[in-house]
Amino acid sequence: MTPTALRWIGGSLALAALLAYPYLFGIYFTNVFVTFGIFALYAVSFNLLLGFTGLLSFGHAMFFGAGGYGTALALTHFKSLPLLPALVIGVAAAVALALVLSPLMVRVSGTAFSMLHLAFAQLMYVLALKLRAVTGGEDGIGGFRIPPFRIPGLVSVDMKDPSSFYYFAAAVLGLSVFVLWFVTKTPFGSVMVGLRDNPNRVAYLGFRVPQTKAVVYLLSAGFAGVAGAVYALFQNLVSADALHVLNSFTPVTMTMIGGVGSFFGPILGAAIFGVISELTSRYTERVELVVGLILILVIMYAPQGFMGFVNAARARARARFAPGGATELVR
Amino acid sequence: MDPTTAMYVAQGVHGLAYGMLLFLVASGLTMVFGMMGILNIAHASFFMLSAYFSYQVLAVFGSFWLALLVAPVVAAVLGVLCERLLLRRVHAFGHMGELILTVGISLVILEGVKVFWGTESLPIHVPAILEGRLALGGLDYPVYRLFVIGLALVVLGVLAALLYTTRLGMVVRAAVSDSGMVNALGVNVPLVFMLVFGTGTWLAGVAGVVIAPILTVYPGLADQMGMDAFVVVVTGGLGSLWGAFLVSVILGELNAYGVQFVSQLAPVLMFLFMAIVLAFRPMGLFGERE
Amino acid sequence: MILETRDLSHDFDGLRVLSRVNLSVQRGERHAVIGPNGAGKTTLFNVITGTYAPRSGRVFFKDQDVTGESPHALVRLGMGRSFQITSTFSRLTAFQNVRMGILGRRGIRFNVFRKVDAMRDVTQEAEEVLRRINLTAERDLPARLLSYGKHRALEISLAMSTEPELVLLDEPTAGMSRDETRNAVDLIRRLTEGRTVIIVEHDMDVVFSLADRITVLHHGEILATGSPREIKANQAVKDAYLGEVAD
Repeated sequence: MTPTALRWIGGSLALAALLAYPYLFGIYFTNVFVTFGIFALYAVSFNLLLGFTGLLSFGHAMFFGAGGYGTALALTHFKSLPLLPALVIGVAAAVALALVLSPLMVRVSGTAFSMLHLAFAQLMYVLALKLRAVTGGEDGIGGFRIPPFRIPGLVSVDMKDPSSFYYFAAAVLGLSVFVLWFVTKTPFGSVMVGLRDNPNRVAYLGFRVPQTKAVVYLLSAGFAGVAGAVYALFQNLVSADALHVLNSFTPVTMTMIGGVGSFFGPILGAAIFGVISELTSRYTERVELVVGLILILVIMYAPQGFMGFVNAARARARARFAPGGATELVR
Repeated sequence: MDPTTAMYVAQGVHGLAYGMLLFLVASGLTMVFGMMGILNIAHASFFMLSAYFSYQVLAVFGSFWLALLVAPVVAAVLGVLCERLLLRRVHAFGHMGELILTVGISLVILEGVKVFWGTESLPIHVPAILEGRLALGGLDYPVYRLFVIGLALVVLGVLAALLYTTRLGMVVRAAVSDSGMVNALGVNVPLVFMLVFGTGTWLAGVAGVVIAPILTVYPGLADQMGMDAFVVVVTGGLGSLWGAFLVSVILGELNAYGVQFVSQLAPVLMFLFMAIVLAFRPMGLFGERE
Repeated sequence: MILETRDLSHDFDGLRVLSRVNLSVQRGERHAVIGPNGAGKTTLFNVITGTYAPRSGRVFFKDQDVTGESPHALVRLGMGRSFQITSTFSRLTAFQNVRMGILGRRGIRFNVFRKVDAMRDVTQEAEEVLRRINLTAERDLPARLLSYGKHRALEISLAMSTEPELVLLDEPTAGMSRDETRNAVDLIRRLTEGRTVIIVEHDMDVVFSLADRITVLHHGEILATGSPREIKANQAVKDAYLGEVAD
């Protein structure tokens, strides 16, 4: 059987599994999957900055949180707002925040970029805590109406049903991941990678570096906002925790575990992270401790993450079967 | 002196005390940045760890002074071990790897203290000799706050003396501003790294012990101080001790008076200050252009 | 005149690096800038190509005042530059490197609508360039794994990829063996046909075989300008170099 045929079969099986999932695994695991999906998109959006453009953000939670608060506030204040517009408002909030920050952020890189993001995200967190009237402070905003998914005249699906929400979330998150994947395959995606390797040379090829970085930044923030908005809808709650620095460290950890050099690494990392959190939380409340330990181990002994292992193994396999000649292991 | 002025002065003293402690923490942070090019995200965790150690020493031996002596040293040793065994290994992967590693370390410490000491806040009492108030020039000052300021000044004075009059100090200063060059001159840079890292952590540890009676020992101790120290370092200029000193005092006072007047949004003042400084001097008040 | 600098001066923290440099380069010329280390050659390049703005003086490109313009603007106006320290995309393959240059030339900067691998004309052009610089065999090798000579060839090709009217080459043959140098000179000659070149070089054989005119820079000042014969005979140049000028 040809590799393409195999890929089609594999893909169809995966799709079928995805569609049947809620009926195969029940409510609890359906919700676990939705959580995984949310953080997978969140981590992928983060890695757009790190793995692809070489920018490490320690404050990505502010975009996640902006998406969440945007959607929650919209649904709280506009009583008959439909589902998709609510989602879009959340995303718009995240993009707006990125727009405001981008003039500064695209002109810094390296440690400065990382730490400025840490500072701004912390500022957002403090604001969310203190502006109780708007954000509900520590308790956050919750219990807002979750509108049904409605195509006027055709169908109206209640989103409070876990299975229905699963399909909605899977569609939105899956589409988002696909869009981001596609972007990395376009000429713009090539320039992004160029920025990571050698921003100076990129300028000397006639590209406007700050503007290019800005577009990546907006994309990354916007899709983090999508994840945050879906999160708010899923939990029917968003609080300052979404903006806490620990939520900024989460995509970092997931990406490092899964593999920073690959598009799918963060998704894998989100899955592994989810499994580890699940298992750890059965024995102790100190999940972050385990996460910290794993982060240390990964950075020291497997900085390319899980995908790094896979790629290295693949390269070794290829070398063994390659017809003579020197083959370099590309790290 | 009338009550209003008395209140202003009292706030001023509180602000100065916090500013001094802030400088103790920020000085280590800024020097490590100067040498290694990274901001040690775990730095504030060692500050907190030292506070917890001091609680333990107090619980076992009952002596605040012993705690002040021992706890920062233990914290510093741990810090040096982290540098030696962990950070150094990751050096090859560049700044990002180091930054992420410090994130991991901070997570482990932040959660680790909860495992050993629980999540409740642990009170520490001011030693009897430092209780009460002192009357100076028509005003009452809390003795402990004065002690804090005094201790910080003494420690910093000794540090400054070492840095600016000894040969070792000169080497350290050179390493902080250009470690590559110093390496080329045959100085044992790894050793200087360890020294700077250890001393910086020790200073943060001292601050941790000293602040414990004021704020109590609890798992969130690192959060506020960490953010403040970071703002100090960035605003004062990465690698600049004088910048850190100036901004620490400013922030200490901003904090103290801010809480008086803007209470809820006091933290925002701090970020506003940072934003304004960075808008005009992106490298900080005394930082050097990259 | 395609490039002209007027009284170009620059200093770093008080250290004078360029002093009233008046350089003029004719269209189609191959102009070499030589001088001992520290003479200010790379700084001159940096100022001309917009890496930094000069402390004083002006730069005119195609009769336009471009002093202080940013690199990307100058590249779009028709300049190209190679660097002393190889400045390619080290983790990308030779093919991807060349393709980046082509995307730059074609102005494909924000296209998010097509897969870049599916752009066959771009791919064809990239393979054509690879052929021209003899890197077809190394097409899928990451740039940092290329041999030094081939890596420098890639560097030069990137500098040329936007089809600049004026290209500045900063020590293109630095660190090369005899053979590699010969290949590099041949490559440069081929690639820069019909274009104007300003080349900084230490290898005097290269200078004398490529250059139409030579400018000698010393302590940030122009010591002499002229044809290779004039420079070879110039006493002041000889004194400054003391035997560095090969005869």
